[in-house]
Amino acid sequence: MTTPQAGQLLELRDLRTHFYTQDGTVRAVDGVTFEIRDGQTLGVVGESGCGKSITAMSVLRLIERPGRVVGGQVLLRGKDLMEYSDTEMRDVRGNQISMIFQEPMTSLNPVYTCGDQIAEAVELHEAVNRRQAWARAVEMLAQVGIPEPARRAKQFPHQMSGGMRQRVMIAMALSTNPELLIADEPTTALDVTIQAQILELMKALRERNKMAIMLITHDLGVIAEMADEVVVMYGGKVMERADAMTIFERPHNPYTKGLLASIPRLGEKRERLEVIQGVVPNPLNLPTGCLFKRRCPYAMPVCDTAPPVRQVAPGHVSRCWLTPAGEPPRIGEDAPPELAEESAQELTVMAR
Amino acid sequence: MTGPEARVTSQDRPDAPPDPESGSPLWKPAADTGSHTGRRGASGAETAPDAQGEVLVKVTDLVKHFPIRGGLLGISRLGAVRAVDGVSFDVRRGETLGLGGESGCGKTTLGKVILRLLPPTSGDVSIKDRPIFGLSGSKMKAVREDMQVVFQDPYASLNPRMTVGEIVGEGPLVHGLKNRVKREELVRELLGKVGLNQSHIHRYPHEFSGGQRQRIGIARALALNPDFIVCDEPVSALDVSIQSQVLNLLDDLQRELGLTYLFIAHNLAVVEHISDRVGVMYLGKIVELADVDTLYRDARHPYTVALLSAVPEPDPRRRRKRLVLRGDVPSPVNPPSGCRFHTRCWLREQLGNPENCVTDEPELRTISPGQQAACHWSEKITPEGVQSAAEHQPPVALAEAAAD
Repeated sequence: MTTPQAGQLLELRDLRTHFYTQDGTVRAVDGVTFEIRDGQTLGVVGESGCGKSITAMSVLRLIERPGRVVGGQVLLRGKDLMEYSDTEMRDVRGNQISMIFQEPMTSLNPVYTCGDQIAEAVELHEAVNRRQAWARAVEMLAQVGIPEPARRAKQFPHQMSGGMRQRVMIAMALSTNPELLIADEPTTALDVTIQAQILELMKALRERNKMAIMLITHDLGVIAEMADEVVVMYGGKVMERADAMTIFERPHNPYTKGLLASIPRLGEKRERLEVIQGVVPNPLNLPTGCLFKRRCPYAMPVCDTAPPVRQVAPGHVSRCWLTPAGEPPRIGEDAPPELAEESAQELTVMAR
Repeated sequence: MTGPEARVTSQDRPDAPPDPESGSPLWKPAADTGSHTGRRGASGAETAPDAQGEVLVKVTDLVKHFPIRGGLLGISRLGAVRAVDGVSFDVRRGETLGLGGESGCGKTTLGKVILRLLPPTSGDVSIKDRPIFGLSGSKMKAVREDMQVVFQDPYASLNPRMTVGEIVGEGPLVHGLKNRVKREELVRELLGKVGLNQSHIHRYPHEFSGGQRQRIGIARALALNPDFIVCDEPVSALDVSIQSQVLNLLDDLQRELGLTYLFIAHNLAVVEHISDRVGVMYLGKIVELADVDTLYRDARHPYTVALLSAVPEPDPRRRRKRLVLRGDVPSPVNPPSGCRFHTRCWLREQLGNPENCVTDEPELRTISPGQQAACHWSEKITPEGVQSAAEHQPPVALAEAAAD
């Protein structure tokens, strides 16, 4: 039994979610550890297939066959959600943790009005009658900045624009006042001006409701805008974790560095973009040792052995053989002694 | 370039292997290769082409309306979606003209009409001074050798039942390269050019990742050795680390082959990176058209300003108050009168809602050399004004929540 630290809301410990497909086992989430404190916004960033969405689904126990959470703990205020019964879990969803999805059109039911769908969520979680639930739905729509909420509540999802639908999703997720909001690519399907509206809205609601947000996105701009702390994922593993400022200004992991260097930035016209060579490895056939080694400009022989998770600085960890100073490891000290027979020369960085 | 009658048939195609430097498809006549060399020389310079550059594609007052039909028999016209509503611009040889704007602004429709993949409602497009809308099928086929397209979704735009060789070789086959061996040789050369393994020629699209598929799409566009390629959101569906690979590839190919791009994308950072000049569209109109540096440093249309302000920057130190436009883009079926942006315009609000924004439609006018904007009040945009507009917006949601 563990006692949660004050303010500790959610803690993932060595979470593993695997998919048993016909072609083999996909280790979509493979030993993910991080925590979210009350009121904190944690950004989870990575490319498609890195396991960021599956991590979120695992927290809410929404994984379906052929997938299964095969190991680890998800502690909500110190209690392991993996040990909850289905009934208890249903109570957690919506009440303590809510989730919004990327595509609001496919996550809303097209045959019910928006008001009905929010009212249903309210009714399920609170002892209210139909009228009160409806009133609450209209109030929620007003809170997320939808003009004429009473009229809009009677409309169907297809009668609304993408931005409006995402507001409806947020209204539904917030209707039960959760402590943690999991937002999976909440603005990816939206235009930039609408994205700006939704991000402003999320910030304002975060401020007022004092809720924590787990923000999953591939967009480093959105992360920089919103997140207090950042987790960088690759191939189902956390590659680096630190506060947002550190991730953007002093990244340690070569993957994080590559990701940051490869995005075109407004107002910085460069002749060529830096690229990360190669492609994301096939999840059915992951390389041994470091998952990033085939694309890594710092790759060295030691990378054939799974890299350690090093503490680079307080609150900053990185899964890499490079020392906290970014140097190649010294045999026997930073690297396991069994690698000592390999010549020291081979261990020097083969920077390209 | 080559009319149908001038096209080389398999018999008189030179048998000698192509000059590896030339980068011209195997089956084009030598004279043509020469012109490519010259063009490459012209655009090889890394600077953006100057305003006097040769016009390759000219778009004049282009309009595309999609009728909305209804009624008992579904034939009465109820109105029209005015997807593109009077757009004019030139694309100069060797440049990349970026086209940005939000979804529904008409940028993709514009690209399709320029390629004559959709019939225009009115207006003209000419390539190399040759208007294309009146051309017969066979003449148009010849023009298509000059203009190609790379689509957004590399999953939907490749036929899953065709091998890479068939996909990339289809254009040359249709355009007269009947010899299978020659065609395969050409496809292999193209695959090498776009950075794909030449031995993958017999594979099917599903065996490739998104980035590799987009390379196949690019190889297909290059197969007829075009001058002009419309790239419609070519990297939007790709992961960030793959995006930069494809953008660099497009850059390299442009330099090597002297290509001219119309690059359509909603991501303004991507548009800035790749473009020499940029047009911004709103509700079927170009609201601003300028050299890339000018547009990003000193935008002269309030919509461009808001669009740029909305882009979240990957730098937590630059978190700032954004200029957030309220509301959604109005329906293109019934665009607002006067300036189409007036319903959401922060500048108009700042200036005390001048009447002419509602009554007069602003023309695209020259603000400074290399910069045009369609706003009556362009000169009133100042950095201080932008900042104060950003700061004086009511906080979102909380204001609304307080009302109940």
